[in-house]
Amino acid sequence: MGAAVRLQLEDFSQDEEIRALRATSQRIGGIATFLGCARDFSEGREVCEIGFDAYRPMALAELEKLRAEAIARFALIEARIVHRLGAVRAGDNIVFIATGAEHRAPALDACRWLIDELKARVPIWKKEITPSGEAWVTPHP
Amino acid sequence: MIRVLFFGPVADCIGARQIELPYRDGLRWQDVRNELQPRHPEAFALVSIVAVNGERVRDEEGAPLADGAEVVFMSSFSGG
Repeated sequence: MGAAVRLQLEDFSQDEEIRALRATSQRIGGIATFLGCARDFSEGREVCEIGFDAYRPMALAELEKLRAEAIARFALIEARIVHRLGAVRAGDNIVFIATGAEHRAPALDACRWLIDELKARVPIWKKEITPSGEAWVTPHP
Repeated sequence: MIRVLFFGPVADCIGARQIELPYRDGLRWQDVRNELQPRHPEAFALVSIVAVNGERVRDEEGAPLADGAEVVFMSSFSGG
């Protein structure tokens, strides 16, 4: 199994990520997950593919920091974050976050916090490729 | 030498992912911006985040760069 925080071109397996998370401790009583996937429609246009660019060393360091912060802030037992880069086709996976805690509330809260912070703090950019051209995505609040 | 990197929409706008500038004593990241901005006004209009050696810097932070420093001018992030 790969590291708990990864940036990668290839797809990931949610099952394998959850298995790796569970393997860290039997004290985990609640696991929350977030899966971000590529929509085939955005801003009124058909989207065939999404391209991801990243300032990779800083993005990885920020993800590591986010994981450590989430573990401390929500008293998590473990957390994993995987984000894909490069070309992702409509319908495919983009990002997966899994959080494990003794109880459900901190796991759910941490999962929501992690995806919100990731969008604000991690230097990754998304370009939508449509039949009529390409456009970089403006961040949503 | 100072390595200046661009990604995503800023890189597309500039037409390059990397520019190298000669190092000089006392050079700050703001000097790098002031040198490049007039040449690429549209790209720098997108810039809202700056990093030096992988760490975000604020507008008022202007410590001199070391020779070999990496400066990155970035637009708002849109991952996830």
